[in-house]
Amino acid sequence: MSRVLATYNIKGGVGKTSAAVNLSYLASRERLRTLLWDLDPQGGSTYLFRVKPKVRGGGDKLVRLKSDVEKLIKGTDHQGLDLLPADFSYRHMDLALDRFKKPTRRLARVLKPLEDEYDWVFLDCPPSISLVSESVFEAADVVLVPIVPATLSSRTIEQLDAVVADVRKGKGGVQVLAFFSMVDRRKKLHHEVMERLRAERHDVLEAAIPASAEVERMGVKRDAIGVFAPRGRAAPAYEALWAEVRQRVEG
Amino acid sequence: MTGCEFLSTDATTPSVVGEALGDGLQVTDTGLRDSDRTYYDTFDGLLRGAGLLAAHEDGELALVDRDSGDVRQHARIATPGQRLFPRDLEPGPLRDALLDVVEERALLALARVHARRRALSVLDDERKTVVRMTLEEPALVDSAGRLSILRPRVRLAAVRGYDDELGNVKSALTRELGLAAADQPLVDEAVSAAGHDPAGISSKISVPLQFDERSDVAAAKVLKRLLDVIEANTDGTIADIDSEFLHDYRVSVRRSRSVQRELKKVFPPEPLAEFRAEFRWLQQITGDARDLDVYVLEFDAMRELVPEAMRADLDPLLEVLRGRRLAARRQMVSDLRSQRVTSLLDRWARFLDRLPSLDEGDRPDAPRPVGEVAGGRIHKVYRRMVKMGSAIDESSPAEDYHELRKRGKELRYLLELFGAPLYPDDVVKPMIKALKALQDVLGRHQDREVQIATLSSLRDELASVRGGTAALMATGALVSRLKEDEQAAREEFAARFAVFAGKDQRKLVKATFG
Repeated sequence: MSRVLATYNIKGGVGKTSAAVNLSYLASRERLRTLLWDLDPQGGSTYLFRVKPKVRGGGDKLVRLKSDVEKLIKGTDHQGLDLLPADFSYRHMDLALDRFKKPTRRLARVLKPLEDEYDWVFLDCPPSISLVSESVFEAADVVLVPIVPATLSSRTIEQLDAVVADVRKGKGGVQVLAFFSMVDRRKKLHHEVMERLRAERHDVLEAAIPASAEVERMGVKRDAIGVFAPRGRAAPAYEALWAEVRQRVEG
Repeated sequence: MTGCEFLSTDATTPSVVGEALGDGLQVTDTGLRDSDRTYYDTFDGLLRGAGLLAAHEDGELALVDRDSGDVRQHARIATPGQRLFPRDLEPGPLRDALLDVVEERALLALARVHARRRALSVLDDERKTVVRMTLEEPALVDSAGRLSILRPRVRLAAVRGYDDELGNVKSALTRELGLAAADQPLVDEAVSAAGHDPAGISSKISVPLQFDERSDVAAAKVLKRLLDVIEANTDGTIADIDSEFLHDYRVSVRRSRSVQRELKKVFPPEPLAEFRAEFRWLQQITGDARDLDVYVLEFDAMRELVPEAMRADLDPLLEVLRGRRLAARRQMVSDLRSQRVTSLLDRWARFLDRLPSLDEGDRPDAPRPVGEVAGGRIHKVYRRMVKMGSAIDESSPAEDYHELRKRGKELRYLLELFGAPLYPDDVVKPMIKALKALQDVLGRHQDREVQIATLSSLRDELASVRGGTAALMATGALVSRLKEDEQAAREEFAARFAVFAGKDQRKLVKATFG
């Protein structure tokens, strides 16, 4: 049985794809058999792993369970890390899902044939609240939410709580974990906010990903940070995040 | 693996490969490294037979699928040495996977390969790796560290979802560069070069026979194969590489004795009597060592039989058994090395070669079709077993069970050595199965009987060692559990025998072999 982790935030540009790419890379580096499904029609993860954003038959055929999902998977440049690529058609996935009686169960059913093949499955989700995100919560064991301390306001917390509430509506037993993303270490305010929130909430992790040039360079290097900048500040931050996530999930 | 492995030449450089690939694909060099790898398998090639190989490299032992090259399981083991028992590995998936295939057998270091490997990636227009390629220059390392060159290779590893690209690379290597697919994987080439048979030395007997073949010719063929197995297992038995050498040695001796006895009229009586006496001796001199092997191997299972609080108290018993085992082995090794054994096996080989040309006057079965002779014996031994077994009930003396089991072994060897190649599978296979089920119960009964006697005989010795009193009590508890199990075996006998000797089965045996 694979464990399913979804990186999710209602807002875009908060480090969700970066987390999906780097954490899945770290999982595979520990020789865990890992799959990343890039559900975002923008195809950020797919681009970063240099795979062409094309799924034969599109998202529609996939959620109808008419595609052989095994054949759509692409090996990345890293041993043990596979990718189910994004496809432009995923932008209509809401409509594709809406057709079914139990639309939120669909993504889990797509993944079902793969459960013995992978130890970890990562879902990189589009930033929205939709049938897609509800389906993702249904398929996931853990929803990992990046939050940015710069914009941290009561609204961010509300949004996090909204995710928690949404997840709770689903099958139950799903963990929601939040981590700080794009942290500016020079800003005292960031640290204060982070300290306070960690003290208040059990679902906020210790690990924090710095705002760094390395994260931005991923788009140029088209690879995980651990590959091209293993000694920078971001790489160990992702390692710490991964260790903490694993510890929380696996106990 | 072979399908994706090509024999290359010195001219197969990364740039040559790159040019051969043509448009759309390019090659990038991702590094050169030297590696030392040691291949392991059992003496009888169990891993290879299961489509696997075990290789130790960079402090890690990996169990690898031979065809795909995929690593099934792996674990860190600093220096596994020349011989490795999977049962001694740390608990984990690698240990489980190895034990599934090799059980009690030792993995032996068969070949050490030093290789210079250049890793290449074949990239598409996004600079995405679509095929992994390794240019490998291997050499066999002998025990003195000398190198002998093995054939260089190009190995391709597929990247999932890029089958078309893999096909293109393969055809470029064959068409553009004229490379040939490897006729054997590196592991086999290395193991052969190290002087071993990559398939291992099997102790399985399957000698093809014709129904109308002369019985003496057929018997000689089977016996020669058994002699091969005896000889192949001699060194491993003496060196105590693993317990299966002695086991296979003894099974072959016992099977030879069965053929000598069951087909006795194909041999001239006088030399046969001598060989039978000598083979009986061979069986005897290896008996104690084997029995004690089994005690030691199965000690943990025996330990489980006593209450948990007493299990540790059995340690002195294990020590006593180990001591006895070593003493028995010493005696056996000196016997096996004796002139008497080497001369016996020599004479036996020459006798078997000559057998068909000997005078037929005193061996009436010699020219008869082996199908007829062996079939007659199968029928007869079966009928005898039916009669003996029908007279056994729960109150019968242990001796009766033992006698029936001995006949059962005879029948089993007849069926396996002659029944299987000469008679229809749909009769022989179910018959062997029913017989095995019966023999399991009889074997358990006999084992318990012997274990009870042996353990009881160890009492004095045990009393005199440290922790002896507790050990005696625990042994007492063990003996009473063994007695219960012996009784349970008796109770199971009737049902197993009913399957073996049922009316339909009797009819079928008569119709087939009678």
